[in-house]
Amino acid sequence: MSKRLSDFRPVFVVGVGLHRYQKYSPTPYVALGVTAIREALLDAGVAWPEVESAFVATALLGMAPGRPMLRHLGATGLAITHVENASASGSTAFRLAAMEIASGQSDLNIAVGVDKPAMIELGSRQAGLDFLERERVAAFTHFALLAQKYAHEHGATPEDFARVAVKNLANGARNPYAQRREPKSLQEVLGAPPLAGFLTPLQSCPIGEGAAATILASEDGIRKLGIDSRRAVRVLSSTLRSERVYEDNSGFDAALTEETVRQTLAEAGVSPSALDIVELHDAFTVEELLYVERMGLCDPGDAPRRLKAGHFDIGGEVAVSPSGGLIAMGHPLGPTGLGQIAEITRQLRGEAESRQHPNAKTGLAHMVGVGAVCAAHILRREA
Amino acid sequence: MSDRLEHPTLYEASDAGPPVLLGHRCGQCGLAGFPRQSLGCEDCGAGGDILKPITLVARGKLVSFAVVHRHVGKDIAAPFIMGEITLDDGPLIRCTLSAETPGALMIGQSVLGVLEHNPAADASVRELRFKPEQAL
Repeated sequence: MSKRLSDFRPVFVVGVGLHRYQKYSPTPYVALGVTAIREALLDAGVAWPEVESAFVATALLGMAPGRPMLRHLGATGLAITHVENASASGSTAFRLAAMEIASGQSDLNIAVGVDKPAMIELGSRQAGLDFLERERVAAFTHFALLAQKYAHEHGATPEDFARVAVKNLANGARNPYAQRREPKSLQEVLGAPPLAGFLTPLQSCPIGEGAAATILASEDGIRKLGIDSRRAVRVLSSTLRSERVYEDNSGFDAALTEETVRQTLAEAGVSPSALDIVELHDAFTVEELLYVERMGLCDPGDAPRRLKAGHFDIGGEVAVSPSGGLIAMGHPLGPTGLGQIAEITRQLRGEAESRQHPNAKTGLAHMVGVGAVCAAHILRREA
Repeated sequence: MSDRLEHPTLYEASDAGPPVLLGHRCGQCGLAGFPRQSLGCEDCGAGGDILKPITLVARGKLVSFAVVHRHVGKDIAAPFIMGEITLDDGPLIRCTLSAETPGALMIGQSVLGVLEHNPAADASVRELRFKPEQAL
């Protein structure tokens, strides 16, 4: 029988660091990545030569950007693995890093995501099959179709979708690493001309640049390197799945999310009601409503009411995207999933400052990537 | 009917009724797929000759729709309406709705394919679009 992460030795996040997500700038990706890595090393209290291997997540930088960046930390000869899995690249790098620690192949490693905006051709467009809709379904149109369907099924209004952006922009305003740091009112979110359907620009995530790094360790590594175990956050589960043929294929993102999150909750032995923090793939506002329902955080169709009542606020029943999520913190692709891990780690340690959710003990990180793939991890404060 | 089609590998006119889409059916699991291919069935993985070419009538139910206000391509002028449709013959497709589509669209209503001119393209070219069946 195949084994899960939880069948091996424990894995901990011991250091996190970021370079702020921002609009495209002349800053080379190397400077973005090195900034995040140095911050993570400082946070963990370890020196670069102790890092045994690196998983480098990028979706847009092209072939082999890892060593030109990592050499500036000191060319130690460590193992370097590049990871591309669309929007879930960072999450997948984190999974591989966790598996490596769990299996005993290393005691300390790093998963780092870095990207800068670039135009690339999706694999599906090179697959040799023609499409009826060709280039007429941009990402915002895909999610506008889902929003229209959700509104039809549950009577949701344009305001119901826009409230996701209002909440996440308010959270992002308190996050020094967020790309969008201005709170916006419901009227401001709804005030701009729509991209498609209900979705206005502030209900769509900005694709910018940035970097995020997480340092992982085993108990042996923590002991050997004198890392503060009280600030270590346990990785309870790691799940990665891809799209199947569903009975209702128009909602494949949500169906894939449901089965991935259900699997990772089972692996962690955690119920949805035990989650204090959820960082999810809110590239578009409708996704948050769909996913919180399919994750089991509320009943189908009840997400708009709960959102309006503040259940998903920092200080509510469960803080959903306290970082600001993709809508406010931004979505530079390679770093995004690792930025979620960084936020959850800070929340579980009680180090999230003005956006701290009280008594946060258990968190879920969730990313969907074009393909579609879906990654989910559950983290818990042990101390 | 001498006009060219925008995507002749994807659909064709039919003397028997509405246009048809060019798809396949898996001889192993029965799944109907679009566009036509023989590389392998998405559900059961069977490949090659077991995937039989079939035609799918351009008729179905509207699953969702969205008015697209921003479009960078030159192939069509925004705004236009994108529809998601479950064909009566099985597959879920996405297709532009007819420029003559009335404002009051309803999810669940029957839609039918038509071959119509795209003002943004060559006047001798027609492309497949869908419109509500009662509007025909």
